[in-house]
Amino acid sequence: MNNEIAEQIKGMLVERLRIPADELEYDSELFGEDIGLDSIDSIEIIVGIENLFGVDLSGSGATREDFRSIETLTAFVEAHKEG
Amino acid sequence: MLNEKRCVITGLGLVCAIGDNVDECFDAALNGKSGIADAKSFDTTECYSHKGAEVRLSDEELAGGKYDRTTALGIKAAGEAIKDAGIDMDSEVASEIGVLLGSCIAGAACVEKYYKQKAKGEKGDISNLKAMPASVIAGNVADYYNAGGITANIVNACAAGTLSLSLAIDLIRGGKGEIFLAGGCDSFSSLAYSGFHALRALAPSDCSPFNHSDGITLGEGAGVLVVESYEHAVKRGARIYCDVLGSGVSSDAYHITAPRPDGEGQMNVITRAVKNSGLKFSDIDYVNAHGTGTAKNDESEFLSLKTLFEGSKDLYVSSTKSMTGHCLGAAGAIEAVFTVKALVEGKLPPTTGYSEEDLKVLEEKSGSINFIANKPVTKDVNYVMSNSFAFGGNNASIVFAKDPNVLNLTCPKQSLYVTGIGMVNGEYNEEKGDYIANLDTDLFKAYGVKSAFLRKLDRLSQLQLLSGIRALEDAGITVNEENEGVIGICIGTNDGPMTEIANFQKGIIRDGIEKGSAFAFPNTVYNAAGGYLSIATGIKGYNVTIANGFQSGIQSVCAAAGAIMFGYESIMLASGTDECTDIDDEIFSDLGFTGEGKMTLGEGSVTCVIEKDSSAAERGAKRYAKIAGFSSTRDTSGDRSDNSRMSEKALIRALENVLEEGGMKASDVKCIYGFGNGIESIDKFEMDVYKKFFGDDIEVKLIKKEYGEARAASSSLQFAMLAKDIHEGRLETGIAVSYGTSALYTAVLLTRA
Repeated sequence: MNNEIAEQIKGMLVERLRIPADELEYDSELFGEDIGLDSIDSIEIIVGIENLFGVDLSGSGATREDFRSIETLTAFVEAHKEG
Repeated sequence: MLNEKRCVITGLGLVCAIGDNVDECFDAALNGKSGIADAKSFDTTECYSHKGAEVRLSDEELAGGKYDRTTALGIKAAGEAIKDAGIDMDSEVASEIGVLLGSCIAGAACVEKYYKQKAKGEKGDISNLKAMPASVIAGNVADYYNAGGITANIVNACAAGTLSLSLAIDLIRGGKGEIFLAGGCDSFSSLAYSGFHALRALAPSDCSPFNHSDGITLGEGAGVLVVESYEHAVKRGARIYCDVLGSGVSSDAYHITAPRPDGEGQMNVITRAVKNSGLKFSDIDYVNAHGTGTAKNDESEFLSLKTLFEGSKDLYVSSTKSMTGHCLGAAGAIEAVFTVKALVEGKLPPTTGYSEEDLKVLEEKSGSINFIANKPVTKDVNYVMSNSFAFGGNNASIVFAKDPNVLNLTCPKQSLYVTGIGMVNGEYNEEKGDYIANLDTDLFKAYGVKSAFLRKLDRLSQLQLLSGIRALEDAGITVNEENEGVIGICIGTNDGPMTEIANFQKGIIRDGIEKGSAFAFPNTVYNAAGGYLSIATGIKGYNVTIANGFQSGIQSVCAAAGAIMFGYESIMLASGTDECTDIDDEIFSDLGFTGEGKMTLGEGSVTCVIEKDSSAAERGAKRYAKIAGFSSTRDTSGDRSDNSRMSEKALIRALENVLEEGGMKASDVKCIYGFGNGIESIDKFEMDVYKKFFGDDIEVKLIKKEYGEARAASSSLQFAMLAKDIHEGRLETGIAVSYGTSALYTAVLLTRA
């Protein structure tokens, strides 16, 4: 896993979604019991990822599984990031 | 009994994208003429949707461009309603007329102007700053027309317009007024456009409610109705359009933006309105639906209507939003005007935009409901209903009729008590120079509030949540399936979520309308705090937020008392809440209210549990004090172009009213919890009035010396401290008093329980 990307995604989640940083691990279930995100949060994540990496999650076919954790989001960004 | 008083509609006023007055709008609606076009108010190039339903009149053509566009639209519709009702605003009647207006986005147009100036490094225009909060709208409209009755701004997002009508009939039936201009107004705004765009809730093209349901199209406008007691209308020889029967207000306790998919909250509110009106479901002939065009709304609303009206053979339903767009806080009021016109003229407006193919699908899914698509229906109807459902899970419903019917509001007058108090107050912070509250996460965790929920709440909502759950705890109330429907919430605020509004607006000025935050937008609505409180606690009853100046915290007690008096609820949480952030510091400093020798800002939230005698007795509740009298008053004496004016006459009348209601004399009262805040002119005015009215020996307690000017939280705190003093034997009786803009005063008299 690219730690630099993961750290950027974590920072974005903390800032945009006010998730307490100390509760957020790379493998925390974002939409499950751990963090409890919902559909509004997922829209915010799409915008946050696009702003950070220019990767359009909704346009590049990201699935529910890709939104599972910072790890899966990082993998998706790595696979779709240009250059 | 309180339900004897007939309420009637005697005047109508309307402005929206399909017309500048009632006749134009109703003709256009019947002819299926849509007002949706490419949005012109701001540049939408970078957005995925470009549509809006904007009013044709320019700012200059609305009250000469001197007001925020939301207020100016309200002035336009109010003017038509006054004329239509045949009221001479220079006559004695004008002094009785109260103004109750709903709004969602309030002065968003001025928020944008102000922060655009600031972003350029300029000094912000003070007139824009003063017009930003919802708190000033009704007062400004009342002052404009010399209406001297009380005011309230109902800020329950998209249900606000319907709720203001509901409040008007409650006040009339509760003996607190005879005639009101009630409705709602909202302008088109980059704030709302960006917010709904961020939520992906805007339709890519013209909205299509109950059809393609791929989103809303935003609109703007205002609807104002003259709501009057029947006796008052007859006495002045007014033409009567129809009766207003019962209304209903409820909360979903589910989600901050989405309605419950099972429609429970919507069905509760429709049931309440039908029941309060003394009707059966099958009596309702026409429903003007909320029908926004989002999939979530349309699905749950269709389900609610089909479930409740299963036995109706002749029910007609339509959503006029396909033509007017969604006018947010004005929507309920605009649709109330259409609903009244439909009733009176026997012509029901359609939902437009259905193709032949769409019509086939509609017929299959609407079952026994006659869904009016594309073409109006001519039909003699007797009982008609208008529904509004809002962010925060707020639902409101109201019934208009050709006859007075026999209502089902059989709540005998009961004594009301304060049975719980929850406080969050600020402590002086040297660094900030304000009184700041402690909102550590652990305080919430102690009550089982999860961080996944708490992170969504802005500061205002956190303050509100903490005082709310502390009040329930103090009262010994556990919300459960048995009582969730008989507990309600009434919140007063001066500034609401101005920090969230300002930060959202600053963000889109910086990054573009297309870059608004989906996460932040729900917290820009004034009733988010009340919505979160209902979600966290499970409270499903009445839910209203009033933004009406510093006195809002005490006015919330009056509105809560009203909700209990009509048997809507047994228990109400009445709160006053305001925050103090860097944004508030900047605003009050720019206004020139803070600084050396002036007021010091504070923040906080105080929630009092107000409960009826029988419920308190059944629970064996602790009783702090008895509410012996409550009154709001206002007048237009002095320079009414100055909405910061004070009125000795209005303040004295509030004091006289509460004493009369409590059967007491001025000499019985030894202590006042006053509103003085360090601004010399206000403090002197207040002391002079009390000394004149009560004599030199009156003790005046000024809590803002210890907690700062926490605005609505302060007025709630005055009330709560008085209740505690009485409970702990320090006082026999006392009055809490506060003020709002446009010379509005509210007083509550408390005595031993």
